[in-house]
Amino acid sequence: MKLLTHNMLTSHVKGVTKGYPLLIKATEVKVSEVEFNPQFVSRMIPKLEWSALVQAAEEVGHLNDLPTELLPDYENNEEFLRKVHRVLLEVEVLEGSLRCPESGREFPISRGIPNMLLNEDEA
Amino acid sequence: ILSLSRTEEGNSQFTVTMGATVPTGFEHCAAEEVREKLGAEAKISKDRGRIYFQMSSDSLPLVHQLRSVDNLFVVVKEYVDYQFKDSKEETLKDLQDLASKLPWTNPLEVWKLNNVLKKRRWRRRGANVSRPNPSSDGAKEGTQEGAADTETQSLEAEPEQPGRVEEDYEDNQGQQDKGSAETGAEGTPGVLKFRVTCNRAGDKHSFTSNEAARDFGGAVQEFFQWKADMTKFDVEVLLNIHNNEVVIGVALTEESLHRRNISHFGPTTLRSTLAYGMLRLCKPQVSDVIIDPMCGTGAIPLEGALEWKHSYYLAGDNNDQAVNRTVNNVAHIHRKRQEKGCGPWGLPIDTVQWNLCRLPLKTASVDIIITDMPFGKRMGSKKRNWDLYPSCLREMARVCRPGTGKAVLLTQDKKCFAKALSRMGGLWRKSHTVWVNIGGLHAGVYLLKRVASAFGETPEDTDERRDPRGAETAGEEKEEN
Repeated sequence: MKLLTHNMLTSHVKGVTKGYPLLIKATEVKVSEVEFNPQFVSRMIPKLEWSALVQAAEEVGHLNDLPTELLPDYENNEEFLRKVHRVLLEVEVLEGSLRCPESGREFPISRGIPNMLLNEDEA
Repeated sequence: ILSLSRTEEGNSQFTVTMGATVPTGFEHCAAEEVREKLGAEAKISKDRGRIYFQMSSDSLPLVHQLRSVDNLFVVVKEYVDYQFKDSKEETLKDLQDLASKLPWTNPLEVWKLNNVLKKRRWRRRGANVSRPNPSSDGAKEGTQEGAADTETQSLEAEPEQPGRVEEDYEDNQGQQDKGSAETGAEGTPGVLKFRVTCNRAGDKHSFTSNEAARDFGGAVQEFFQWKADMTKFDVEVLLNIHNNEVVIGVALTEESLHRRNISHFGPTTLRSTLAYGMLRLCKPQVSDVIIDPMCGTGAIPLEGALEWKHSYYLAGDNNDQAVNRTVNNVAHIHRKRQEKGCGPWGLPIDTVQWNLCRLPLKTASVDIIITDMPFGKRMGSKKRNWDLYPSCLREMARVCRPGTGKAVLLTQDKKCFAKALSRMGGLWRKSHTVWVNIGGLHAGVYLLKRVASAFGETPEDTDERRDPRGAETAGEEKEEN
C-alpha cells in the first residue's frame, strides 16, 4: 500500500462518521523506485489531505524532513516535490494494518494489499 | 536476392502496406494511435476489426510499439473487388494460379526483418535473464501464493515484441517456434515451413475456407518449395476473404498476442488491446486518480500504468484470487523492468481488496472509474446484475469528482445497464458508446460523465441504500465459474 492510496482510504464501518485518516501500523515497509514527474506531484498536492500524509509518513518511519505544513510556491520547489514524490509513491507498506480512528476496527495489510472488506454486521 | 544489408542506403528500405487486427469497435482508436506513433494514415477495412496503413520498412520496430493492435501482418496483395468464378472448381483453380503471380519479395523481406528483430530481442534477454515460470515466484512471495498458483492457467505462447521494454514475459512454447525459424531465417538453404490460414466471410462464395486454404496452400508450396506444417511453421500466409475483398498477407505476430502484460490469468482476463482502447477513450491526464473497482487480474490498471504513467491507478476487487493475481501481475512486470535496468522500475499502481458497493474511499476523490463489469453469461448471473448495477453506479458516483469525473464501463448486459443508468440522470450523463465483440459476445463500452452535482443532493441518493448483503454475495459469486 502506497501512502498516496492511504490518503484516499477511509473507514466505512456502519455508524462511523470520522473514519479518516486510518491509523497505520506497519511491520514491513519497502521503498521502490518510481520515475519522478514534478507535474504529477504538484497537481496531486491539492487533492491530498496534507496533515494525513505527514502523519502517515511518520507512522511508517519515513517522515525524514517532510515539512508539517505545505510550503508556499511548492510548484517550483523541486527539492520539496522530490520529497513528496518519495513519500507518495515510493514508500510502501507490505505488512501491517489500518485502524479506524473511531471504531478501532483493524483492516489487515498483507503482501501490500489492504483488506477493506467488512463483515455483514459492520456494513 | 533477399539480402538484409541495411548499410546499403536507398536500396534496403521500401514502402509496405501493413494490416492489423484490432478489437472491433476500436478501429478509430487504433487508427489514431497509428497516426500518432507512425505518422501514417490508416484505412479502416469494411471487414470489421482490421485497419491498413503504409509505412517504410525501416519503421518496423515502431510498429511493435502499437498498443491497440492484436495481430500484425504485411499485405502481399489486396483485391478490392475480386471476381470469383461461378463454379467451385474454377474459383479454386484461380486461387492456385494466383500463388505464383503475387509480389512476394518485399513482404517476405519484411518478414525476415521482423525475425531478426525478434531474435535480437530474445538473445539480449536470454543473456541477462533466467526464466522463472509463474509457480516459482511463489517460493519468494510467501505461502499465500501457493493457493493462487494452482488456479493459474498456463501461459499461452507469447512472442516478444521488439521496441517495448515492458512487454516481455514467459515464453516456453515460443522457444520451439524460434528454433524452427532460425533454420530458415538465416538465409541458409534450410527449407522453410509454412501454413495458410484462411478467413472467409460472405454468403456468395462457392467454397469453404478450408478448401481455399488447402488449394492456395498447395500452390504456394509448389512455388516456393516450402514444407507445410500446421503447428511449427516459420511463415504464416493469410488469405482473408470478405465478400469481394481479398487480402493476402504474411503474419508478423503469432496468435494470442492479446494478453501481453498478464502472466497470471484469471477466468475472464481482458485483452490488453481492449484495455488500451478503453483507457484511450477516457484520456488519462496528469495526476488523474483512476480506479478499476472490479479489476480481476488487473489488466486495465496495468495497461494504464504502463502507457499513461502520469496518472495513478488503484486496482480493486473483493475476491482473494483476483487481488492476488493482480499483485502477481504487477510484481512480474516490475521484475522485468528491474532486469532491464533502464531506470526507475516502479509503476504508479496499487491494489486494494474492497467491495465495490461500499468503496473505502473518500467522497469525490477519484477522477476516472474504468472497469469490465460482470457479464451475465461469462460471470455472475443476470439476476444479480439487476441489483448490482444500480448500487455500483451510485457508489461510483459518490467517489467520482463531480463535473470533471468520468467512467468507462464495459458490459454485455446492455438492457440491465441501460435501465440502471436511466435512473441515474442526476449523477451520470452518457457521453459516448463503443460496441465491441468479446469472444463472440456483443458488449458495449459506455463513456459516462459525472454530473456536476455533489453526491447527496439528487433524488437518487436519498433513496434507501440497497441491502449491502445482497450486493456482497453477488460480488463473491463473481469468480464462481
